[in-house]
Amino acid sequence: MKENNPITDFLKNKMLRRTFLKWSGAIGVPVVLGGIGVKQFIEYKEAHTTVSKKDIPEKIISTCSVNNCGGRCVIKAHVKDGVVVRVSTDTQEGDDLSTPPLRACVRGRNYRKMLYHPDRLKYPMKRVGKRGEGKFERITWEEAVDTIAKEVKRIGETYGPESRYDNYASGQCWGLHGGSAAVRKLLSLTGGFLNYRNDYSSGAANVATPYTYGTNNSGSSFDSLLYSKYIILWGQNPSEMIFSTPYREYLMKAKLNGAKIVVIDPRYTDTVVAFADEWIPILPTTDNALMDAMGYVIVTEKLHDQAFLDKYCIGFDEAHMPKGIDKKESVKSYLLGDKDGIAKTPEWAERICHVPADKIREIARNYATMKPAALIQGWGPQRHAFGEQFARGGAHLACLTGNVGKLGCWAAGTGYWNRANIVSPFSYENPVKASIPCFLWTKAVEMGTEMTSADGLEGTDKLKSSIKLIFNMAGNMLINQHADINKTRKLLEDESKVEFIVVSDLFMTPSAKYADILLPGTTFFERWDIGVPWCFGDYVVFGEKTIKPLYECRDEYDVFAEVAGKLGVKDKYLENGSTILDLVKESVKRTKKELDPTFPSFEEFRKKGVHHFTFNEPLIGFKKQIDDIEKNPFETPSGKIELFSKALWDLHQQEDIPAIAKYIPAWEGPSDPLKEKYPLQLIGWHYKRRCHSTYDNQEWLEEAAKQEMWLNPQDAKARGISNGDRVQVFNDRGSLVIDVRVTERIIPGVAAIPQGAWYSPNESGIDQRGSLNVLTSQRPTVLAKANPQQTNLVEVKKV
Amino acid sequence: MDSVPFKQQNELIPILIARKNFYQFLIFLFSEPKNNEYFIEIRDNGKMNELEEMGKGGQLLHHFFLSLTDEKIKAEKEEYSRLFLGPGPIRAPLWASFYLSKDHLLFDESTYQVRKFYHQYGLQYIKENNEPDDHLLLEIEFMVSLIDSCSEETDRFQINRLLADQIYFLTTHLLPWIPAFMKTVIKNTESQLYKGAVLLLHDFLTFDLEVLCEIKEAILE
Ligand code: SF4
Repeated sequence: MKENNPITDFLKNKMLRRTFLKWSGAIGVPVVLGGIGVKQFIEYKEAHTTVSKKDIPEKIISTCSVNNCGGRCVIKAHVKDGVVVRVSTDTQEGDDLSTPPLRACVRGRNYRKMLYHPDRLKYPMKRVGKRGEGKFERITWEEAVDTIAKEVKRIGETYGPESRYDNYASGQCWGLHGGSAAVRKLLSLTGGFLNYRNDYSSGAANVATPYTYGTNNSGSSFDSLLYSKYIILWGQNPSEMIFSTPYREYLMKAKLNGAKIVVIDPRYTDTVVAFADEWIPILPTTDNALMDAMGYVIVTEKLHDQAFLDKYCIGFDEAHMPKGIDKKESVKSYLLGDKDGIAKTPEWAERICHVPADKIREIARNYATMKPAALIQGWGPQRHAFGEQFARGGAHLACLTGNVGKLGCWAAGTGYWNRANIVSPFSYENPVKASIPCFLWTKAVEMGTEMTSADGLEGTDKLKSSIKLIFNMAGNMLINQHADINKTRKLLEDESKVEFIVVSDLFMTPSAKYADILLPGTTFFERWDIGVPWCFGDYVVFGEKTIKPLYECRDEYDVFAEVAGKLGVKDKYLENGSTILDLVKESVKRTKKELDPTFPSFEEFRKKGVHHFTFNEPLIGFKKQIDDIEKNPFETPSGKIELFSKALWDLHQQEDIPAIAKYIPAWEGPSDPLKEKYPLQLIGWHYKRRCHSTYDNQEWLEEAAKQEMWLNPQDAKARGISNGDRVQVFNDRGSLVIDVRVTERIIPGVAAIPQGAWYSPNESGIDQRGSLNVLTSQRPTVLAKANPQQTNLVEVKKV
Repeated sequence: MDSVPFKQQNELIPILIARKNFYQFLIFLFSEPKNNEYFIEIRDNGKMNELEEMGKGGQLLHHFFLSLTDEKIKAEKEEYSRLFLGPGPIRAPLWASFYLSKDHLLFDESTYQVRKFYHQYGLQYIKENNEPDDHLLLEIEFMVSLIDSCSEETDRFQINRLLADQIYFLTTHLLPWIPAFMKTVIKNTESQLYKGAVLLLHDFLTFDLEVLCEIKEAILE
């Protein structure tokens, strides 16, 4: 080699002298450098058949999200080369309401962004810092499974099966399977777990309505609304929380058919904007005062349906009281004030609920005369201190006017209805019979062994242990969605109370922070399923596995099969099917065989993406009973509608659990003396940019609708607050900061924060995101022991 | 085409090795810091004082290695999780498409493009469609594989082509997102290790591009 060759000279003398290369050329490769980083490439087999991306055909796969929004819609994933490149939704036109289009809402437009969001939980983790601190270390699946199996066993052996608990969680609850089902099956096979009852949605109503009607199925199918002349949506906001995907199409059609729609709500909601002829603003927790006054008007103006009341109801007037009960305990006596000396006049109610007396008269008359009329109750208003009264009070009105059991009517109350089902093949039987109301799980952690039937403990007199092990599968009830976050936080941070917490989720939610073992779950794109709407809706949606799970994410079904293997119960665990796909196929097969011969085959269903059940006529709640009550009595003790419930009377708690629905002033309601200190009522609402707390971390949705509090100009002015200001909202339980929107769209005296924002405390514990539950209370409702999360007094100040 | 041997292969190889070493050092810096011994080994045998001359990034790293303790490594582990790994909102994802796509997503357009490029070289990410193909470490590994191929070549034309490919890969895939990545890291951390690493990454890649262009020019002459 000639030394004077310019290339040689350049390479040898110039290049290698440059700083970077001088160093790295000289260090040699320390042994370690060579060893770092596993080789991550393999040979690409199809090297010579490479087609350019343009030529790769786009495949459209129909699937379905199974979050806890009341809607259930068709999600079409456009897949190219194993990657979802775009998401669209049902394109079907909406003319035929028997097969309504199932279009995604605004949240669905974010699904691809959710799927490929950089913050997805990607690998199993174990906690390394203090619990709740958020410090984790990546582990293998093997270690995760091992640890879970060991702890399930250890805690079961040490404290007994009642110490093991699968917390209320709804992030993936409207499909055939999911983390909770998997966990429960596993726990059932290894001794059992502590059950819970009821829910956080309609908890008070669920317990109260059956005292009146014998069931919660007091609703009618949406097509019945096409015959209604007058519709009251009482605290219901389907425009944002969806309730059921086709519901809004029916409401629109009902409106076109001439129905007058009235919305009663503290807020001028999107539902008011879209559907209402009239908005009636009302103070939270005072709905029963309005109901009582409407009843008073109807009865005193003789607009009530006496024949209906005589024939079907117990307790309306003196002539129809149960034996041995004072006649003055009837609904009519109460309304007229025979016993307490207070006639429930519109003027009386106006002072309480702030609906003008004349307006009360008007809607009472309209409701009683524009028949058939449908009084549909949302569940927000029953999430308060005496929410039971709300559910029963609505039912009272429906009965007073005879708007029950007939086409175009609606019986109020909880309002469930359902006539289209599929078989769920995944089953378990829990050997433990003890159960608690779901809202009291923190009590069962704190002092489980001291709980009694007065706390709603059932199935046992006494628990043998407090909760020591919690599974929290795709849920945020572990801290964010449960009431009184600061209280819960202390409880969870105490590692001597709950000893082991497993969380599976898609993102690092506030609840996930409290995990000891954190598992990366799959989105609906990454697994098979069948999505069903919240009971309401005559259809089911096929959930095709669109892509393979990303990263090291896994379906809980498979994870817990492995745990079951470690504990020697794998065969039993897999008895309903060894894979999720088996479960889906089995469900289709059995649904066709056992429930509906017109149900499609697996392949047909997959191709169509959706199955609409068709019916010749609307489902009318209680039609059977109203047509022939002799043959079809109500499922109450008396066989009639119990406006007066003897069963409740016998509880001897007339003050807060009356036998007939009454207005009871709520603690932390508008007449609580605490108002001196905390003068504003605070409520939450289901925000369109989130499904409960799901998607709160999705930036694009925050652009669509940001987290902000609503406050009336009067209240803002009194505090020197202007639109857009950042304010602090606080009471004795906690404190948060949030931007405020000053708007006439909310009644004076009330502040409203969209529920579900992720708890983000700063160093002094003040939430920075507007997470409502730092301000809510764990004090349960009296009868149902349900969540009262709309019952809060707060003060607001500018920061 | 007839094979034309490249006469200066002996001189080229040390440069290729030096470049490869540097890339491997970068792989080390951006891998999850699992093993304390690696840090100690590099401190002891890595001629760390020379890092001082390599700009701000080198200086930060030099200081980091000078005052290495177990405590410090532990803190950097936590920092690595916070910045790159999760769980939770990761501050500076290690994937190109996060910086190149409108919505800051993974598995976006750039993921595909780089995948196609790998495929053309007969390579496929072992986790294709499971993790995105445009991870920093994978892109660097790909550079290393191009360097390796180049070292094995003797044909002048082929060497020239492989150098061109490296230039192409740097300019089209690896470099475009590095400035944004660097800014993001710097904005989000006080860590000497990761501030230093990202500055060094940026400086070295820019430098390497120059080197490649100059070599290629020199060879062509
Ligand atoms: S939130 Fe509900 S309605 Fe909206 S896209 Fe998702 S599943 Fe569909």
